[in-house]
Amino acid sequence: MGEGRKSCGMNTRPVLSRRQFVKTSTGLAASMAMVASQRVWGANDRVVFGFMGVGGRGSYLLQAFAKRSDVEVAYVCDVDTRRFANAREAVEEAQGRAPKTTQDFRRILEDKSVDVLVNATPDHWHALGTILACQAGKDVYVEKPLAHNPWEGRQMVAAARKYQRVVQVGTQSRSASYLREAAEAIRAGKLGEVQLVRVFNMMEHPRRKPGTTQPVPAGLDYGLWCGPAPLMPYDPGRRWLDQWEFSCGAIAGDAVHQLDLARYLIGDMPYPDTVVQAGGVNVLKDGREIPDTQIATFEYGKLTLVLDGALWAPYMKKTPMAVRDTDEMPNWPFNATRIEVLGTRGMMYYGRHGDGWQVFGPDAESAHTGVGRQSDAEHQDNFIACVKSRKQPTSDVEQGHYSTLLCHLANISYRVGNRKLAWDAKTESFRDAPDANAYLRRTYRAPWIVPETV
Amino acid sequence: MSMAKAMAWMGAALFLAVAAAQAQWLAVTNAQARIASVEMGGPVLALDYELQDVEASADGPAWVFITARWPGRPDWEALPAAWLRGNGHGLITSPGKKRSYAWGLSEHGWPEKAPPEIRIRALRMRRIPGGVFDQLSLPGGGRDAAYGEVGQARLSTFWMSRHEITVGQYVDYLNEVGGSGAGWNPSMTNAIRCGIERGAGGAYAAMPGRANHPVTYVSWYDAQAFLAWCGLRLPTEAEWEKALRGGHFLDGDDTRRQANPMPKRPFPWGIEPPNEGGVHRCNYEGDADGFAQTASVGSFAKFDSPYGISDLVGNVAEWTLDWYTTSYHAQLDGFRMIRGGSCLDPAEACDAVSGSTRLPIKESGITGFRGVWAGPQPPNGR
Repeated sequence: MGEGRKSCGMNTRPVLSRRQFVKTSTGLAASMAMVASQRVWGANDRVVFGFMGVGGRGSYLLQAFAKRSDVEVAYVCDVDTRRFANAREAVEEAQGRAPKTTQDFRRILEDKSVDVLVNATPDHWHALGTILACQAGKDVYVEKPLAHNPWEGRQMVAAARKYQRVVQVGTQSRSASYLREAAEAIRAGKLGEVQLVRVFNMMEHPRRKPGTTQPVPAGLDYGLWCGPAPLMPYDPGRRWLDQWEFSCGAIAGDAVHQLDLARYLIGDMPYPDTVVQAGGVNVLKDGREIPDTQIATFEYGKLTLVLDGALWAPYMKKTPMAVRDTDEMPNWPFNATRIEVLGTRGMMYYGRHGDGWQVFGPDAESAHTGVGRQSDAEHQDNFIACVKSRKQPTSDVEQGHYSTLLCHLANISYRVGNRKLAWDAKTESFRDAPDANAYLRRTYRAPWIVPETV
Repeated sequence: MSMAKAMAWMGAALFLAVAAAQAQWLAVTNAQARIASVEMGGPVLALDYELQDVEASADGPAWVFITARWPGRPDWEALPAAWLRGNGHGLITSPGKKRSYAWGLSEHGWPEKAPPEIRIRALRMRRIPGGVFDQLSLPGGGRDAAYGEVGQARLSTFWMSRHEITVGQYVDYLNEVGGSGAGWNPSMTNAIRCGIERGAGGAYAAMPGRANHPVTYVSWYDAQAFLAWCGLRLPTEAEWEKALRGGHFLDGDDTRRQANPMPKRPFPWGIEPPNEGGVHRCNYEGDADGFAQTASVGSFAKFDSPYGISDLVGNVAEWTLDWYTTSYHAQLDGFRMIRGGSCLDPAEACDAVSGSTRLPIKESGITGFRGVWAGPQPPNGR
C-alpha cells in the first residue's frame, strides 16, 4: 500500500516553524503536476455534469452548479427515484431543460459527453464511485469525508493520478482567502511556535427512534444503495451516518472540515505519529455504533492536535447565519466548530463559516484580526477552472485523504479499545497493531469491489 | 334601503358570481349585506345569500368565509368566524338560503351606518371522521427515508378541502389582498407550472386554461397566508395521511359501522400502483396519464381517497404544517414537510408515505397546498 506516493517526511516534525512551512509548501507545489485533459476547452464551453446522489448535500450542490452559466447538468442519479422530481425541477428552473434521470450511476460514466461526476453519496460509496469515474475519464467532485476507510482513500488518490483526473473534495472552506491570511500570520510567527491545535465539533444530534425491518419500497434500488457494504435487511430507521458499514460517523462527517483547515494552518503535514481516542457511545444510546463522544489526540512530534467532538452539546452552536459573511466575530467559547491554534506567544481562533480569525497575545489582547467570507462559490469556481486548466484543485484528493485519515485513525483507536496507536507513514498502517490494521480497509461486496490496482 | 345601496349590493353579488366561476369557488348568489338595529346589542350586520351547491352534505360541506370592504376603508377585511352567528359561515352542509349576523362593528372600527361591500366564498370540503388510523410514516422523517414506521394515531374529526388550491382561487386572493405584491412572485408566470400574470396596476389574472390547475410557486408562508385568509390552515402530516388512507372505520370510531377494507392502503384508491394494468390513477411523471405537467384539479376523481378527496398523490406535492425533525440540519434550518408526489415524480413516489422537505421560504413549481379545518363542533357557533 502506498507505493509511489508522495512523502513530505514531515510527520515527525515537532513544531512548525517558518522554514518548515516553506518547505512544506514547496513540496506540495512540486507535486502539483499538470494533469491531462481529454478535450480542449473554449472560453465559453460548458462543463457537462452528472450528479450521483441528490439527497441533502447533493441537492445543494446540484442547485449551486446548475445555476452556473459554465455548467450543464446532463444527469441526475439517485438509487431512490423519489428524489428525481425535486432535482429535475431544480435543473429545469436553472437551465430551462430537464436532465436525464437514472438510478444507476454507470449510465453517467458510459456517456462520453459527460465531463464531471459529482459524488454526493453516503461515505461507503465515495471511493468506488470516484475510482470508476476516474477510470471512465471523468473529473470528480466528491463529498467529504473522502473515503470510508484509509486504504480506499489511498486508492482514490492513485486513481486520480493514474488517469490524470481532477478530483476535488467538498471541503469548501479550504478555498477561503482568509484561510491563507491566517496561515500566513502563523507562518510569520504571530503565535510563536505552535504547540497545540484544538479542533471543535460539538453538536446536538437527535436520539434515533429504533426501526424495524421493512419491505424495500418500490423505486429504491436498495442493493445498489448498499453497494460495497453488506446487504443488510432494509430498516428505514437505521441511520447510515451512525453505522460503521456505511459511514465514518456524524462527528467525522463534519469535523473533517475543521481538521482539514487545521492541517492547512499548520502546514498540511500529512500524517501524525500517534493517535489516541477517548469517548464512545456515551449519551445517544439508540443503537448507533459510532461514538457520540470523540476526544482524539494526534501527536505530530511535539505538536499536538486535539479533536473535541460530541453530539450532545446543545449550548455549542455553529456560527449563526447573521454572523457568517460579516465582519463580526463569533462568540468563540460557544462556537461549535472553532479551531484554536496555540503557540508560545499567542493563540488564534479560526472559524470555518466565513467567520474570520483572531489572534490574542500574551496579555490576552486582540493582536490581529482577519475577517472572512464563506467560500462555497470559490470552491466551485476553482473546480471548474481546474477541469479546464488541468491544474490540481484547492482540495485535491490527496489532501482530502490526509484530512479524512485523521477521522479514520480516531475511529480505529476507539474500535480497539481507545488504545494509543503509532502510525507508520511509509506503509500507511499502524505499528505493531494487527487488530487496528484490520480496520484499514473493509470487506467489499461483489461486484462493488475497490480494485487492488486501480 | 336606498336605490344606491341596492345597486351596490347587486354589484357585489354580480362580482361574486364572476369570481366563483373563475376561481373554483362554489357558487354563491344573491349576496346581500344590510345593517339593522336591535334592542341592546347595537347595530348588527346581516348577511344573506344563497349557496348554489346541491352537493353540500355533512360529508362534503362547503366552507364559507366572508370578507368585507367598508365605506371609507380601502382594504378588504375578513369577518372572523368567531364574530358571526347564524348558518351562513363556516361549514355549510346543505344548499339554499343562508344568513349570518355580526354585532360589535364598532369594536373593529367598522362604520355602523352603512353596510360594506361583501364577498362570500365557498370551498368544497370533505369530512374525515374522528378515530384511529394506521400511520405508516414517521412524522418529520422526510428525506431520511423513514418509511414503514408502523403505528396507530387517533385524530379528532377534521375537514379537508377536496381539491388542491387552484390558480383561480389564488388569483382571486391576490386581487383582494396582494396589491403590494405580497403572496406573488415572478415564477408564477411559468405558464406550464402555474400561470398567473400580474398586470399594470397590480391586477392579477390566470393565464388561459390555467384557472383550474393547482397553484404552485407558493412558499410555506404564502400557503399559510392564503389559508388564514380563508380561515383554514395547512394539514399536519398525520391529517394528510389519514385523509388518504382512511381510519379503521370510515364513518369514525363513534359509530364504527363502515370498516375500512384497506386501512394500510398505500394509495388513496387502494393497493394498485398508480400505473398498474395500463390504468392511470393520478398525475405522475410523464404524459402517459394524459398530463406531462399539472392537470386541472379533480382530473382523477375516479381515484379519490375513501373520503372523496382528490389528487392527494400526484399532480403537485403539498405543503404540510409539520417540521422536518429527524436530522441535525432539520433542527438548524426549520425545514417543513411536503407530501404526496407530483407530476414530475415516478408513479411509486405518489403514495401515502413518501415525503420530501423544503425550506419554508422556498417556492417550487411542483408544490402546492390544500386547507383543513379542525375546529370544535358545532363549527359555527349556532
